[in-house]
Amino acid sequence: MNERQLIARVIAGDRLAGRALYDTHAPRVYSLAYRLSGDPEKAREFTQDTFIRAFSRLAQFRGDAAFSTWLHRITVTVVSNARRSEVRIAREVTLDEAHSIETAPEAEPDLKESIARAVEELSDAYRTTLIMHDIEGYTHAEIAEILGVPEGTCKSRLSAARAQLREALAAFKE
Amino acid sequence: MDDDRFDDLIRNLPDDFKVPDPPLEEMWRVIENAHFNARTASTSRVWTQSTPWLAAAAALLVGIGIGRYMPTRSAGPTPESTLGSRPPASSTQLPLYDTSAVADAYRDQTNQYLGQAAALLISLPAKAGTQQADATFANKAADLLVTTRLLIDSPAATQDPKLRSLLEDLELVLVQIARLRGERNKGDLDLIHQAVEQGDVISRLNSAVATTQSSE
Repeated sequence: MNERQLIARVIAGDRLAGRALYDTHAPRVYSLAYRLSGDPEKAREFTQDTFIRAFSRLAQFRGDAAFSTWLHRITVTVVSNARRSEVRIAREVTLDEAHSIETAPEAEPDLKESIARAVEELSDAYRTTLIMHDIEGYTHAEIAEILGVPEGTCKSRLSAARAQLREALAAFKE
Repeated sequence: MDDDRFDDLIRNLPDDFKVPDPPLEEMWRVIENAHFNARTASTSRVWTQSTPWLAAAAALLVGIGIGRYMPTRSAGPTPESTLGSRPPASSTQLPLYDTSAVADAYRDQTNQYLGQAAALLISLPAKAGTQQADATFANKAADLLVTTRLLIDSPAATQDPKLRSLLEDLELVLVQIARLRGERNKGDLDLIHQAVEQGDVISRLNSAVATTQSSE
């Protein structure tokens, strides 16, 4: 059964078809949500939110883009909305809380911490582009389609994000 | 930092920020419950079974709401205009689903959600409880938060500004309740109660419950 047929079955209420779609796409969605949020608990919540939202809107999916592109667009929206909500509640967030990306144990602690902090401090657009391209491995064309921006914009955002990252890490000589 | 060093650093980013194994089964259970078992409302059942007094309180709120607002409903928007999910008239492609069935689903989901939100808010203690009790509230709020965000983007809210405004206020309150898990947040209960009172959230919930109930 191809993806189009699976989608039609999910719209009709077939939960096995839903599970099949989920099994195919959930690991990538979770990975994206985790990289964008830096928190496993939030990544879980965002992944759930993405699929619940996607399933409830499947009838609106017209197949103009790949299903994965459509799904990843929802993921980015879900994460962005949540980040905006967090800002809206205007809580005092300590640097430690803001910097919650887990680093690999064997990494150089100071440098890795600084990278995580620098990535976290990028604007939403730069941060999302950098994470999607340099960490998640999306192509510029894919990112442009997911974010709904021209490919050139995507490239310039990545370039600016890298420049800011480099500036933030200038203190590291080696 | 020279170019080579920076390029290495960029190349190694995926390895430096490793993704933990996704809790696939756990996430699927939530998705399955929310999407495929929406009408059976398993999460609601677990919640009300474990705390039957909350269910009674929610039922009371619903009853009061219906009693207070039902007579004015005839002047209000029709259920279809409030909760319908018809595509725009300019849409040239026919939807692949039955719009009335979708509207019913949203109405049921909204109804169920409003009852649960009311139950949670009126049962919120004035003072911080045990860590376990706070965690229960926090978990329930986190579950409701998922539904809140879905409903904010649903036709039920986009076509009803009052409901949307209520959902947005609820979202903020639920975010705060969901953060009660940590020891450091226990002092926040006052702020949450303040937000609920200032936003007149419970009374607006009453009104919204009455609206969705009477449109069935």
